[in-house]
Amino acid sequence: MELAEALVQLGKFIGAGLAMGIGAIGPGLGEGHVGASAMEAMSRQPEMMGTLTTRMLLAMAVTESTGLYSLVIAFMILLVA
Amino acid sequence: MKVSLTKGDKIFLGCLGSGYIITFIVMQITDHTFDLEGLGQRWIVQLPFGSGLFSRVNPMTLFVSWALMAILIIFALSIKKFERIPGKKQSLIEMLLEYFYELTKDTIPKKEFVKPTFYIATTLFLFIILSNLLGAIPGIDTVPTENGVKFTLFQSSWYSPTSDLNTNATLAVFVLIISHAFAIKAKGFLTWLKTFFEPNPIMFPINLISEVAKPISHSLRLFGNVMGGGILAIIISYLVKYFLLPTFLWGFFGIFIGAIQALVFAVLAIAYIGSVIE
Repeated sequence: MELAEALVQLGKFIGAGLAMGIGAIGPGLGEGHVGASAMEAMSRQPEMMGTLTTRMLLAMAVTESTGLYSLVIAFMILLVA
Repeated sequence: MKVSLTKGDKIFLGCLGSGYIITFIVMQITDHTFDLEGLGQRWIVQLPFGSGLFSRVNPMTLFVSWALMAILIIFALSIKKFERIPGKKQSLIEMLLEYFYELTKDTIPKKEFVKPTFYIATTLFLFIILSNLLGAIPGIDTVPTENGVKFTLFQSSWYSPTSDLNTNATLAVFVLIISHAFAIKAKGFLTWLKTFFEPNPIMFPINLISEVAKPISHSLRLFGNVMGGGILAIIISYLVKYFLLPTFLWGFFGIFIGAIQALVFAVLAIAYIGSVIE
């Protein structure tokens, strides 16, 4: 019985770690692209910097959401179920 | 850019800063540790009548969202009429509303739907940004225990209604229903129904799923940010043994992330309505 509980715990921790770790790859790449493109645009047109920064933050917040789904799933694995 | 503060601003900022300092001192004196056991738990009350899912409420969500609505209504009523030469409060409101009106006008293709969409998006934005800002202010927190519920004062931030998925899902489903109601009104029922079978009838399930997926991603994005921010603040401050960080983290997640996510929610609501109408 104890072994079964220990195995369940093991599965939970490994699952939460994998969910968060793999889930962070996509938003990392995506935000990198957003930041790189925004930097390029800013260097071309420095007078547009204010608008570009707001748009960049907006796009980053949307890109980040897939990472947040995996965060929610990781919390659900650890805390709820 | 030069920022000049009036006396009222200084009093407000002083109150906010002293609140943070009081929280920090209270934490240091009482040797406070966050309850990692009650993390992510909610205070849920079973109503005396009825049974099942529909008779269970989260009292904090209800009270705080009612209080926020009351604050917004009182604020709206406090402006009797708009002056020709705007004061500080009025110019702030005008700036916000103008920004949203321009955004809506650019996104919504049909002219008669610009105003209703603008009202919906601005209302959503104001409600969500107020409730996110609450998560940055130290206040009462509730943690459910085995027997009842434990209230703590000045040891955690206020409960923000958007950290409950029910609030976000309600708002997102409300946006979905409104967008389709607008589409039916704009195009007529049969034309609206036909948009699900385009480009050919085989695509019907995919179109249906893409519509159903909208509120899910819309609500989970906000929920993940607010809830994840709150939990991250607790975990990071646990890692650094409660040295000054919780208040700073509440400020970051509540004010910065909260404002961006409120804007994202409102902009996406406008975009969803616009994409269905055209």
